[in-house]
Amino acid sequence: MKFNLLAIIVLFISVLSFTSCTEDDEPKTLAAGEVSIEFDHVFGSNQLPFTLNTEFTHPRLSEKMTFSMFRYYVSNVRLKKRDGTWYSVPESYYIVDLGVNDGTHLHLENIPGGEYTDIEMMFGVDSLRNVSGAQTGALDPAKGMFWSWNSGYIMLKTEGTSPSSSDGSFAFHLGGFKGANAVPTVKSYSLGKLVVDGDREAEIHMVANPARLWHEADGLAVRSKTHMPGAVAKQMTGTFYDGIVFDHIHN
Amino acid sequence: MKTYGIIKKTLLFFGLTVFFSCQEDRDTLQMRYPGYFPEPEYTFGNNVLTSEGFVLGKKLFYDPILSKDSTVSCASCHAQEHAFADHGTALSVGIGGKMGSRNSPAIVNAAWQTSFMWDGGINHIEIMSFAPITNEVEMAEDMNHIIQKLSRNEKYKSSFQAVFGKPIIESQQVFYALTQYMAMLISDDSKYDRVKQGKSAYNEEESVGYSLFIQKCVTCHPEPLFTDYSFRNTGIGSKSNDTGRYKITLDDRDVHKFKVPSLRNVALTYPYMHDGSIRNLRSVLDHYSEGIRESDQLDPSLYKNGKPGIFLTEDEKDKLISFLNTLTDFTFTTNPLFAK
Repeated sequence: MKFNLLAIIVLFISVLSFTSCTEDDEPKTLAAGEVSIEFDHVFGSNQLPFTLNTEFTHPRLSEKMTFSMFRYYVSNVRLKKRDGTWYSVPESYYIVDLGVNDGTHLHLENIPGGEYTDIEMMFGVDSLRNVSGAQTGALDPAKGMFWSWNSGYIMLKTEGTSPSSSDGSFAFHLGGFKGANAVPTVKSYSLGKLVVDGDREAEIHMVANPARLWHEADGLAVRSKTHMPGAVAKQMTGTFYDGIVFDHIHN
Repeated sequence: MKTYGIIKKTLLFFGLTVFFSCQEDRDTLQMRYPGYFPEPEYTFGNNVLTSEGFVLGKKLFYDPILSKDSTVSCASCHAQEHAFADHGTALSVGIGGKMGSRNSPAIVNAAWQTSFMWDGGINHIEIMSFAPITNEVEMAEDMNHIIQKLSRNEKYKSSFQAVFGKPIIESQQVFYALTQYMAMLISDDSKYDRVKQGKSAYNEEESVGYSLFIQKCVTCHPEPLFTDYSFRNTGIGSKSNDTGRYKITLDDRDVHKFKVPSLRNVALTYPYMHDGSIRNLRSVLDHYSEGIRESDQLDPSLYKNGKPGIFLTEDEKDKLISFLNTLTDFTFTTNPLFAK
């Protein structure tokens, strides 16, 4: 009789723990949905809202700059589930483009329902896709982000005007996927709790700062054009990518 | 539930019909090459090789629609009778009479190439054509504009749909089709090949020339493709200060290095060198024998006994040229499948 009571207590406790487990776990019914990533852009340490065709003064260089184009690749997005496993978004290549409508808003469709704690993304395009021939989508060479004469993606492309430049303009077409000057950089960010469940909003807000291209690099009076892979591309993209931060999420 | 089942079956049936009809419409092609060729670098992969795809690629290759003002086609500078090199001009002329800075290379056995252009800047055959199409002094066109032009043309539109089965034309399909044509430009029926296959024999001059070739030239031009695809400085100097491979690697050791070209059909691809600065084969041999300019980056294989140059007597030059002429493949240069 005493033994039976013990058995009942054990059973009770195990049922209880089982119940509490299911409560902690996400319900299995969460539906697949869209995750969107919005890149907000600010200029300089005083975080001025950044837009094209507006004059900014670079805080470190004290040079005036007006951007007419600002584009960069984001790729290989992965999301970490609450259980520690990763979901890799298939064919995950995007161009953040400040010159087109909704161009700073990445739409990641058909993400499995669930709760996610971290996001990882690559700034730039992985080396494999730089050597794999004709691609489509964001990687289509017709997008103007591929060097014809020296195969490889232009991972960040910005152009504009500046009185500091000797010819009044600047153009930085930065990329490269080989060796020490390889540009692609993987970053991961802790999100707290992002819930994907069907049509429910799941939006990640990132902040990028174009002024950080010149965080360490020479100013436009010294160098106003770069159209190739190399140390300059590595340095400029490196400081820019380092300055891309996670801001907040909307669930 | 039953109705749903029927709909599902019907859909499946239509799906299969479409699938099979696609398959029937397109004749898959196979690359054919002799057993003594190595495996090609490019084996088509996602780009399914079909006779319709090849024909579409050929049409694009000969069509000036790929240039900005519809005056220049790929064939303008890559002529079949010259093994798809230019018509004997040192530097090629693009739109509006603009001159390029390098000699148009032959398109021969391109599927075996590991890189493209004299500096090897292009790493994949599928995107090779992107360079001349967009270059300001060649075809100066924009891929998006080409797609617009092709999409407005009913014949192209239906050809693209038949080959790729997609509702819209994308740059990938243009590149794929051009690649289907260019990768199939296989030259393997020269006298050299026929000797190799036991169907012919060298005459005395050719035979001595072949022996000389094996002694003096195979380091850079190994059989059966007659190039090792490496980059070398051959001591011709550079009038235009074209730094060649250096532009791609930014490595000081690569200054003035250019890709070793294949010697297949070499008698037809004059003039020679990256800048077309040497008019004929005799002068090329004169250069290697007596004309090499020394520089820090001069290829080590061009030194013999501490001196630059591969010395050849006049008689040896005659015989080497006799052998080089056996690399001409008239089956290739007259093949109606490759012609416009």
